[in-house]
Amino acid sequence: MTTTVKLEADALQVYRSDKEVLSGISFSLSSSEVYALLGGNGAGKSTTLLSFLGFLPAAGGRVLVNGKDVSADHKAARAAIAYLPEAASLYEHLNAFENLRYFLQLAGRSEDSPALEAALDRVSLAPASRARRLKDYSKGMRQKVAIALAILRDTDILLLDEPTSGLDPSAIDEFHDLIRDLADTGKTILMVTHDVYGACQVADRIGLLRGGKLVGEFSAPTDGRIETETVHRAFSGRTVDTQLAV
Amino acid sequence: MSATLTITTDEWRYWLRSKLALAVVALFVVILVGVSALTNLRIEAEAHEREHHQEVSEETFLDQPDRHPHRMVHYGHYVFRAPMPLAIFDPGLDAITGQTLFLEGHRQNSATFSASASSADLGGLSWLTPALMYQLFAPLLVILLGHGAIVREREAGTLPALLAQGLTGRRLVAGKLLALALFVTLLLVPVLISGVIALSAGERVLAAASLLGVYLVYLLIWVALTLLVSTLAENRATAIAVLAAAWLALTLVLPAAAVNTTTQTAPLAGKIETELTMLTEIRDLGDGHDVDDSVYNDVQASLLAEYGAASIEELDINIRGVLAQKAEADLTETLNVYADRRMAAEMRQSDRVSAHGWLTPTLAVAVASRTLAGTDLFHYHRFLRQAEALRINFVQGLNRAHAEALSYTDDINRNRDEASWERARIDASNWQVLDSFQYESASASDRVAGAQWSIAMLAAWIAVLTLLLAWAGGRLKP
Ligand SMILES: Nc1ncnc2c1ncn2[C@@H]1O[C@H](COP(=O)(O)OP(=O)(O)O)[C@@H](O)[C@H]1O
Ligand SMILES: [Mg+2]
Repeated sequence: MTTTVKLEADALQVYRSDKEVLSGISFSLSSSEVYALLGGNGAGKSTTLLSFLGFLPAAGGRVLVNGKDVSADHKAARAAIAYLPEAASLYEHLNAFENLRYFLQLAGRSEDSPALEAALDRVSLAPASRARRLKDYSKGMRQKVAIALAILRDTDILLLDEPTSGLDPSAIDEFHDLIRDLADTGKTILMVTHDVYGACQVADRIGLLRGGKLVGEFSAPTDGRIETETVHRAFSGRTVDTQLAV
Repeated sequence: MSATLTITTDEWRYWLRSKLALAVVALFVVILVGVSALTNLRIEAEAHEREHHQEVSEETFLDQPDRHPHRMVHYGHYVFRAPMPLAIFDPGLDAITGQTLFLEGHRQNSATFSASASSADLGGLSWLTPALMYQLFAPLLVILLGHGAIVREREAGTLPALLAQGLTGRRLVAGKLLALALFVTLLLVPVLISGVIALSAGERVLAAASLLGVYLVYLLIWVALTLLVSTLAENRATAIAVLAAAWLALTLVLPAAAVNTTTQTAPLAGKIETELTMLTEIRDLGDGHDVDDSVYNDVQASLLAEYGAASIEELDINIRGVLAQKAEADLTETLNVYADRRMAAEMRQSDRVSAHGWLTPTLAVAVASRTLAGTDLFHYHRFLRQAEALRINFVQGLNRAHAEALSYTDDINRNRDEASWERARIDASNWQVLDSFQYESASASDRVAGAQWSIAMLAAWIAVLTLLLAWAGGRLKP
């Protein structure tokens, strides 16, 4: 598989309510890569994702999706991206199938029932739950439906905003397996999180975001995962800002 | 299916799955149907009752035996205003203006209410009309169903998900707008039924259709306002608070304030003072019963000249009847000046209140509604004028009979003995001067023209809110 740059932030600077929230961050993702943007509350993680979707204008620098400047064509960017917002972004009055159908219809796609079943199989949502309304779902089950939707949208790129917060450890493990699985089928995945352990477990690379600045970047060795201890020290501020490339 | 329709359908699905929404809508519909049925029965009963009273009153007058003509002038006659067909939906001012007038010589009485209570009265609840249900309570229903339309998606996080899929804010708002527009259209089915009933009672399509139209626009104004707040609000609680405040202000506070400021800035002249000046003026007119009243010297002289008679006894005509006509005409002229002045002042006041419809669509729709139904102040005045035309007509008809069918000598000698009393009567066929009374409302097109300002106000409201909604939808962000 040839590696092409799917997402790129280039000296991206973003203001929200006259406050500089991102101060010139640069990073990029190639296809099949899982990139975790790690940072504390208010670091600017969600802001970064919204910038890729063209919801926040870049005051300086650019954001590119598939090599195209988002500010020039946010429609193309949104069509290429499946985005899971921070909150469980599905309808409680609908069951899993109805949720999938509704979002897909609005995205201009129609999928038959076997395709929906297949997607829900892939995220291993218990078949018995699928016809139940989401108000009875656990956070983990909702997250599965959301991922199933992303799979069905069949976009190259997934943006996930704190997808594991609120999940129990086994659900997190299951989720990470799914993410790795999707990356292996060619999806490019940018997830933001404040979970150091999870980021190390799933990401090919980790960017450390603090106060709107990218203060560190870590890559996994070719045959393993990023070492949690190193990232943890950097995250909790026990090391000086570095451009570490482990 | 287009994205707009997909959103519309889902909104309906959301309502149908919400027990609270269903329960409240069902409750409203039950009350509305009940109020409509009872108002319909009440107005219909009143219509029959008044028609009956009118017939009886006319028969009684015409069936009077041979009498002295002036006794018939004082005997008098009742007229009744038949309710407008659309009064089954909006009785308007009818409930407070009176529908019965006692017509007699020398006076213009004020309208009163029919003596007998109507059979289908709601027991003190007759103020609750279908029109009021739509003006006051239907907006609450729109708020209940619509306040969360957009802000609910924001709170659930589905808004960013939808927008990130490429759905535009305007498209989302349009879908919700269509869902609510459909809802209020269905909510108007009872108005449509009232309209059809009114048509069968002789109402014109133009009036009934216009009435339906103004209520549709009115409810769409609430739909647009509700969606606007839902689009701009950060959370549901804010949306509800803002909309509840708007409902209170627009439906209750502002209309009441409009009435208060108008009665203060454009007060009607005090009834007692006006009546006193009027009475003074009338006293100077002379007494038509008194042939020797100096006021009538000129009339007497010219009559004598005209008939070449030396004394009033020699006249071929009964001067008492002639003077009665003259006195009634003079008196009526003065009474009409005051009546016109009072009605003009009332209209001015009413128009001033109506002008506040620029501030609140509830006032605009209320005014348009009763204008189109023909239950407004204008139509009340119309009734008074038609009744007065009938009154002066039959009183003068009797006075003419007095002048022509009864000799002066017989007339002045009527109290001498039994036989003289008998001679001072005229034939009962003279009572035919009384025309049958049939209240006539303004034509449907005149009523629509009368409502044009209120309709313009509603149009302005919906136009401004639609623009604001388009703007708010366009700036919708995750
Ligand atoms: N809607 C908004 N308007 C103005 N400022 C915002 C808004 N959302 C977030 N911010 C500010 O931007 C900064 C970054 O927020 P965010 O990207 O949401 O952080 P994170 O997702 O890393 O917790 C914070 O300081 C926050 O206060
Ligand atoms: Mg965030």
